[in-house]
Amino acid sequence: MNLTHSLNDDLKTAPVFEIEKALNRVHNKKDLLKRVIDIFVKSLSERINAIEKELEQQNWEALGTLAHSIKGSSWTIGAQQLGNIAYAMEKAAGDKNLHLFRELVQLFQSSVQRFLDFEKNLNNLTSESSSIR
Amino acid sequence: MNKKKFRFLIVEDDEMIRLIHKDFLGELYPDSEIIEAENGAQGICHYFESHPHIILLDMMMPIMGGEAFLDILEEGHRSKILNKKPKIIVVTAIKDVKELMSIGKRFAVEAVISKPLVQNQLKSLLEDWIS
Repeated sequence: MNLTHSLNDDLKTAPVFEIEKALNRVHNKKDLLKRVIDIFVKSLSERINAIEKELEQQNWEALGTLAHSIKGSSWTIGAQQLGNIAYAMEKAAGDKNLHLFRELVQLFQSSVQRFLDFEKNLNNLTSESSSIR
Repeated sequence: MNKKKFRFLIVEDDEMIRLIHKDFLGELYPDSEIIEAENGAQGICHYFESHPHIILLDMMMPIMGGEAFLDILEEGHRSKILNKKPKIIVVTAIKDVKELMSIGKRFAVEAVISKPLVQNQLKSLLEDWIS
């Protein structure tokens, strides 16, 4: 199964970051949210490296665990798009669908870039409520 | 249970989620002790060292997941090596209903909560156990 146009559109149109949801998750503690996002951002490059390494070996169990972990932390901080892509990756790992998984990794990497672009402006955004698409 | 001398164990591989859970618990029970483990194996070591009263347990973790952690604790109870049964709250991003139901039926598990964990949800659950 390949990445269909509708799935591709669904994943790309999900919000990159929902600040209201993120603040709600941490009981409106902005300092905690900043610390949490800092850890999340640092973990992204490690996780991408780990995915690339495990993908070379087609280690589906490890890929499924990695995608599951990314899904949980992304949804926790309101990074909806990354979480949705990671969820699709987790399912593709379960199906051992190499072609689909590779397509999703590309989509994930571009979504990470969008998230990082947004994250640079986070200090301004924590003072207002907004969704970034 | 007395909230002042309370010990929590967080078994979770994601540093970010550990930080959030620790913050929630610390705010609800400022005098409690909060121990952290990055996987089930570390969690088992901390369990035997510290005998926590309540455990927040993730299921999918590298090295040793929550399933194996529960297997060891349940075997400990069956063989009477462990006398006290801690209250285990599984906090998981698993979405499969059958899988969630089978986790919920386990002897050692008191509750299953979907990620992301909401502080009020945790508070209402803990209030039933902690005076």
